[in-house]
Amino acid sequence: MTKAQQRPLVQEFRLLATPVVLFLLVFLGFPAIVNLIYSVSDVSFETLRQPELSGFKNFVAVWSDSAFWQASWFSFRFGLLTAVLECGLGLFLAIFLSPLIERRSWLMAILMLPLMVAPALVGLMYRLVLHEFVGPVPYYLWTYFGASLSFLGPGSSFWTLVVVETLQWTPFALLLFYMAYQAIPSEIAEASAMDGAKSHHRLWYIELPLMLPTIVVALLIRFIDGFRVFDNVYVLTGSGPGGSTASLSIYIYEAFFKQGAIGKAVAASVILFVVSFAVLYGLNFIASRRKGAIR
Amino acid sequence: MITALRWLVFAIAAFAMNFPILVTLSTSFKSARELSTNPGLWVQSPTLDNYLAVFQVSDRLNIFLYLFNSLSVALIGTVLAVALALPAAYAIARGRLGERTLLPLIVNLRAVPLIIFAIPLYMMFQWLALLDTRLGLGLILTIVNLPLALVILVNAIRDLPSELDEAALMDGASRTQILFRVIAPVCRPAIVTSLIFGFITAWNEFLFGLMLTTSKAVPITVGASFFFAASGGGVQWGVASAVMIVGALPPVLLGLIMYRQISGSMTAGAVKG
Repeated sequence: MTKAQQRPLVQEFRLLATPVVLFLLVFLGFPAIVNLIYSVSDVSFETLRQPELSGFKNFVAVWSDSAFWQASWFSFRFGLLTAVLECGLGLFLAIFLSPLIERRSWLMAILMLPLMVAPALVGLMYRLVLHEFVGPVPYYLWTYFGASLSFLGPGSSFWTLVVVETLQWTPFALLLFYMAYQAIPSEIAEASAMDGAKSHHRLWYIELPLMLPTIVVALLIRFIDGFRVFDNVYVLTGSGPGGSTASLSIYIYEAFFKQGAIGKAVAASVILFVVSFAVLYGLNFIASRRKGAIR
Repeated sequence: MITALRWLVFAIAAFAMNFPILVTLSTSFKSARELSTNPGLWVQSPTLDNYLAVFQVSDRLNIFLYLFNSLSVALIGTVLAVALALPAAYAIARGRLGERTLLPLIVNLRAVPLIIFAIPLYMMFQWLALLDTRLGLGLILTIVNLPLALVILVNAIRDLPSELDEAALMDGASRTQILFRVIAPVCRPAIVTSLIFGFITAWNEFLFGLMLTTSKAVPITVGASFFFAASGGGVQWGVASAVMIVGALPPVLLGLIMYRQISGSMTAGAVKG
């Protein structure tokens, strides 16, 4: 093909990508600019259209707000703990149950069921499950152990939420690991068996290293989703008791809708925006460098 | 012996992970009287009264409206996302356009806490009179669905042999014609997968439904919580359970029927994304 013919083709590709670019400019580009302007402005619901520039007051307000740091710490701890628990459990189940699932794939459908239910609904369901009068968990605890816990009280509410999140999303890790485990060529197992390798040696020295990239990706995805958690926490505990279970998403939501502190909410959004993009691009950069090194 | 142990572990895991669904299902069949005496899993005298109550429309609660809203916003958010992603995916995969800018930007959206765009979008929707409309919520769900749809479609098109395009180019077809006449039909499985996955994600979305709707466009995930505040005498747990089962059913059924496609796309989105 000559250059003259290629030219209109490039333009046609540009044309094909235009709708999505325009869509992103309107629905993400514009909000990003509004975020930046409002974060350095004095603004309330009454003066929404005439923000007055006020420097970095909003950022100072967020930075010195202990609730912001409490929410950041909650999000970080929650994301890390649930990611590790989900991936640990998922890895064990994927490998231990794979002989069963290989032959009967409908077993996987049963295990995947929680992934199809809205996290908000699952959160509401736990309000029933843990309810002190109509909930089965306190009931069975009373019946068999003669005592129950206050699952959503101070001290225990964080761990209740961790269990709720872990039980719903372990299937996600399980599914990814099962697929990765199945993708290991069977020749590897046969060859190592010929060489007399024990099965736990094969697991530790061959199979787990082969699955490592998937494990890293799953940890990362689950950390991110745990870090930005909103739905199930919001319907289960609100942010209480005493703001102890407010994630960063809930902090921003409440600053805006409950306190009307628009400037603070927007400044917190900008901080989160900058941090997440920096981390994501950093990770992309590392990933592409490593790919390059292997080539 | 080891097989028995595997079955035991499977049973415990399946029971624990599906426990809230089982409890809700069982509670939805209990009468108000049984609820106060029997909090256990087993239903002694099952009744459909709770479901009948759920489908009773009152001036405060209207489950048909919530279900219809969820259906409409999920359809808008899914179809629009695929319609935007398909041409872009073709330009990225074949024209190598934006491979280092547009693609990572959109894929990273999957990992960004979307709350950071929520407040300006709320203001923008106020100006555009899109608050509490199905179209408005559908547009937001398009953003939510865009990353995975794009990843799935880019991967699908990359896997196609480029001879397919070249043969059509020789015949004098334009790129747009090739996309719709050659590529789209071959990519149908990938398109269907992104539609199913997007529908489930959109149906289950809660945060933007909570923020951007108040009455007319409330989706079922938000509407379900209205039933918890219903009536003066505390929560009617039987009715609340029936609402949750009804609200969870569409994505669960879709997921169970299509779980092979979904498991494939989850892995694709995770590993290559």
